[in-house]
Amino acid sequence: MLTLAIFLPLLGALALVALPGAAEARLRQVAVAAAALPLLLLLAAWWRFDPAGPAFQSVAEAPWVPSLGVAWRVGVDGIALAVALMSAVLFLAAIAWPAETKGRARQYYAWFLFLEGTSLGVFLTLDLLVFYVFFDLSLVGMYFLIGRWGHGDAGRSALKFFVYTLAGSLAILLAILGLVLVTEPLTFDMRRLIASQPLAGLDPRAGLVLLGFVIGFGIKTPLFPLHTWLPPAHVDAPGPASAILAGVLLKMGTYGLIRLPFSMMSETFARHALPLAILAVVSILWGALVAFAQRDLKRRIAYTSVNHMGYAVLGIAAAGAAAGNEAARQLALTGAVVEMVAHGLITGSLFLIAGAFWQRARDYDLQAYGGLARVAPRLAVATILAAFASLGLPGLAGFVAEFQIFAGTFAVYPWLAAIGILGILVTAALFLQMVQQLFFGDLPARWQGFPDLGRVEILVLALLLLLVVAIGVYPAWLLTLVEAGTAAPAGAG
Amino acid sequence: MLWLLALVPLLAGAVALAGGGRSRLWLGALAVAALLLTLALSIAGAAQGWSGTLAWSGALRLQAALTPLSATVAMLVPAIALPVLAFAAAEERRAGLPRLVALLLAFVGGMELLVVADDLLTLLIGWELVGACSWALIGHDWRDARNPRSGLYAFVTTRFGDLGLFLAAMATYAATGSFAYDGLRGLPEPMLSVIAAGILLSAAAKSGQLPFSPWLFRAMDGPTPVSALLHAATMVAAGAYLLARLQPMLGGAGWFAAAIIAIGLATALAGGVVALLQSHAKKLLAASTSAHFGLMFVAVGAGFPGIAILHLVAHAGFKASLFLAAGLAGARAGSFALYRMRLGRALPAIALLSAVAALALAGIPPLGAAWTKEAVIAAAGERGALLAAGCMVAGGLSAAYAARFLLLAYGPAGDAGPGGRPAIVPCAALGGLAAFSLLLSLLWLPGAREAAARALAAAIPPSGTVELVASLLSVALGVLVGLLLARRYPAIGLEGRSRAAAAWLGLPSLISAGAVRPFERAAGAAAWVDDRILDAGPRGAACLAQGMTRSLALLDRRAVEGSVAVVPAFAAWLALLDRRAVDGGIAGTAAFADWLARLGERLADGLPEGAAAIAGMSGHDARRLQSGMSHHYYTLMAIGAAAMAAALFLEA
Repeated sequence: MLTLAIFLPLLGALALVALPGAAEARLRQVAVAAAALPLLLLLAAWWRFDPAGPAFQSVAEAPWVPSLGVAWRVGVDGIALAVALMSAVLFLAAIAWPAETKGRARQYYAWFLFLEGTSLGVFLTLDLLVFYVFFDLSLVGMYFLIGRWGHGDAGRSALKFFVYTLAGSLAILLAILGLVLVTEPLTFDMRRLIASQPLAGLDPRAGLVLLGFVIGFGIKTPLFPLHTWLPPAHVDAPGPASAILAGVLLKMGTYGLIRLPFSMMSETFARHALPLAILAVVSILWGALVAFAQRDLKRRIAYTSVNHMGYAVLGIAAAGAAAGNEAARQLALTGAVVEMVAHGLITGSLFLIAGAFWQRARDYDLQAYGGLARVAPRLAVATILAAFASLGLPGLAGFVAEFQIFAGTFAVYPWLAAIGILGILVTAALFLQMVQQLFFGDLPARWQGFPDLGRVEILVLALLLLLVVAIGVYPAWLLTLVEAGTAAPAGAG
Repeated sequence: MLWLLALVPLLAGAVALAGGGRSRLWLGALAVAALLLTLALSIAGAAQGWSGTLAWSGALRLQAALTPLSATVAMLVPAIALPVLAFAAAEERRAGLPRLVALLLAFVGGMELLVVADDLLTLLIGWELVGACSWALIGHDWRDARNPRSGLYAFVTTRFGDLGLFLAAMATYAATGSFAYDGLRGLPEPMLSVIAAGILLSAAAKSGQLPFSPWLFRAMDGPTPVSALLHAATMVAAGAYLLARLQPMLGGAGWFAAAIIAIGLATALAGGVVALLQSHAKKLLAASTSAHFGLMFVAVGAGFPGIAILHLVAHAGFKASLFLAAGLAGARAGSFALYRMRLGRALPAIALLSAVAALALAGIPPLGAAWTKEAVIAAAGERGALLAAGCMVAGGLSAAYAARFLLLAYGPAGDAGPGGRPAIVPCAALGGLAAFSLLLSLLWLPGAREAAARALAAAIPPSGTVELVASLLSVALGVLVGLLLARRYPAIGLEGRSRAAAAWLGLPSLISAGAVRPFERAAGAAAWVDDRILDAGPRGAACLAQGMTRSLALLDRRAVEGSVAVVPAFAAWLALLDRRAVDGGIAGTAAFADWLARLGERLADGLPEGAAAIAGMSGHDARRLQSGMSHHYYTLMAIGAAAMAAALFLEA
């Protein structure tokens, strides 16, 4: 079933290629259908998921390279399923979004479906080598989406994104090899690696492997000071690609941190968690501070991703170090996973909204706007809701995540948690200032005819924001799933 | 069941918004019905001991319960909101009225949630919802950019205080494993102090205490009913309520009481001076709100949270009434400048009803507010005569600005102007609030007072005759000073020193120069560092990549001659994939590599001076690589292979 969820979008991409001459609307219908199927499959997997059952469920295996211990293995725990579900929703939203395809709709949707298949592969696979392959393939898809459908200096930004994150992948590859090569017999099976903790007690090599993972996933997340590829990539990417970049691709960094070093070398991770937590707090504050100074709508949102992913990493680091305090460990880790889901939905919405601005006005400069609530009240409501969600207002998804992260972290690193909460003050200021600049005050004459959101745009944003509210008001349905994945695994930690 | 107290107004707000185009009457009736229902539910909940639990997860459980104290406030909120919302539905501008009514209802819902909260998570949810509503309400008329800016100022200031609540919640969880209020009892130091400090910070910010008071002035940019509700029963009231609610648990921290008293007394005195000099009708009342909440802080600090809540109740009655009166006067006079009003002859009925509220503000017996203020002074007396004297001075100041307000706003004047009958709803709203204030006069009767104390489970501090006489003298003196100021110096606070003092003693400029602008400068500097320094490394790497793509292009040309090149093959494969699978976009390996090279050139052109050195170095390396001599390539490949092998060996 999970295998199908990975391959259906890939097949959809191939099908699009084989459909020359179809009208753009038809192509979009096919793409939306191909993106809806994995979501349905994942929902079915969720339906069958038993929170009290074994850690990994819906498992399927097929041998591939037995001599190296490589196989096609898929399966999900609560963490992977939550993140994969969010990704599938966001892909559906991004594909359904009425984007500018620059006359190459077929290629656009094909690359999007390719990216969906590879991204889901990252979250659903249980084989380390397959994980790495999908991790890298997703770069290719995003590279072409930014480079060919972007604007501004898109080629340069796409290249920077590609080279920078590829460098991160190389670090991950070396770390994976370092981790796997000590297993006897050789295996890339994540479950066995988690159970056996192959590098336990093997410092300094374990430290080096951890460093490789942290650098690689830190670039992807992105973590201060490895984040500078992010703003240009976002600014020049088309709106839906930005939404996926922030909502799904960044999650591969934090998901990788949890799945690999956090789970497979928990002892080493715990020993070196403090520097990681400090970096996370620096990311939180730095991302918020720099975002505040941005006059460009998309750069501002992009830097808040640095801030939000900092929360997630802080939760992961604190959970890794919280040996002996099971309640705090689980709270921080659950918070980090919920942050990943929440950030995907919220920032995905914000980037789609930014895309709407570009499509209408070809301008990201905040100063150029004002008073738009007069002509685009629906856009204003959606933006305000997303902005409040992003600044962590209770009743919306971001709060549920951040509150748990901070409450869990405080039990481990009280000072870091106390400093980190300053981030939610700065994000409040920067988002409200952004809303005010865009929508309130006088309406410049040239925006008199600024169109409000269209029907499809409303539907897409309503779907995402409804989930944001549902998680914010009553997150029990999500927390039950996530906590099945964050509960202490038997025999580890 | 207790959740209904918050849910009913919230849902009614949603209905008001959904039924947007309906009439004023429909909106007013909806609001009144929702608030009456909320009031009935709060009474039933208190009588029957309702509670509520909502489990988000094992660790996160929302809990609601009523104590005698919180039951009182839970009833007060809808009772005060009722006339205010009726006023809003009848009087406010039609455009945006459904949104205004909806947000006011949500404001009440958020406040009820934080009142019924029995744990810090639930409290925080209500607390921040109220803050967000205040943002939207202050900026209600968003067409004027000034209003949303004031909303932003208010939200960010109070959210700074909210950080204290986050801190308290985190510390509570770390210490007790849950967020429940119950766990706070008897916590060891230093956790107790951390929690107490967080609570105090958030309470002071919400209640407009020093140094956060200026946000209340900015909040005056909201419509009149917003000010009335915000200062009487919601938002500002939350701070004092929270301190009163948690004082029994947090009293163990030795410094706690002294700190509350210090903040409260300082704000009571400073707010009194500011209000006395203020020439803007609503800002005068706003400063007086800070001052009176300062008195409530003193009562809590002195160990009499019940007295603080009684004063909160009395204050809510007269302050809502005064704000509505100020709003009517402002609408009539065309501005909130006090020296332009004197509407006693034009609006006699309103003037009469305002007089009741102003006398209550002044603390003149037999009004109930006078008794609660004397009770605060008596409570302060338990901590020392000096503290009681400070509170008496604050009471005198309150009498002075109340007299000045009443005389300037609703005093008699020569030209009555076209009279016209006052609208019925504002009169009814003010009348209801005046009746509430008059009803509280019963507190002067020992029987009623003891019944109230029993209902609140509160102790009443013993009051001495000497204290009472001294306090009343101070009130009398205050009234004289206020009348004198109003008659002799009607324009005080408009220019010179008095103007500076009336603007919260220069505190807003201090905050701007000491916090806001340094922060903005720091953000700008950080953005510069991010662009120029943190990105220099990657840019240097990009430069290196540019050199590499050039040599790849060279290699690619050689590839025709049969030499093996792994990386161009990868590039070719990518291009092939793109062409075959999708379209004939990129024509071939050479074109792709050339394109990359061109990109690289553009990259190099765009480099800032700071990265020039790295660019030079890598360019040099690239030239060296492109020597064109095959043995160089073989050497490089051998070195690379050896390095990889070594790395793998080390890893293994």
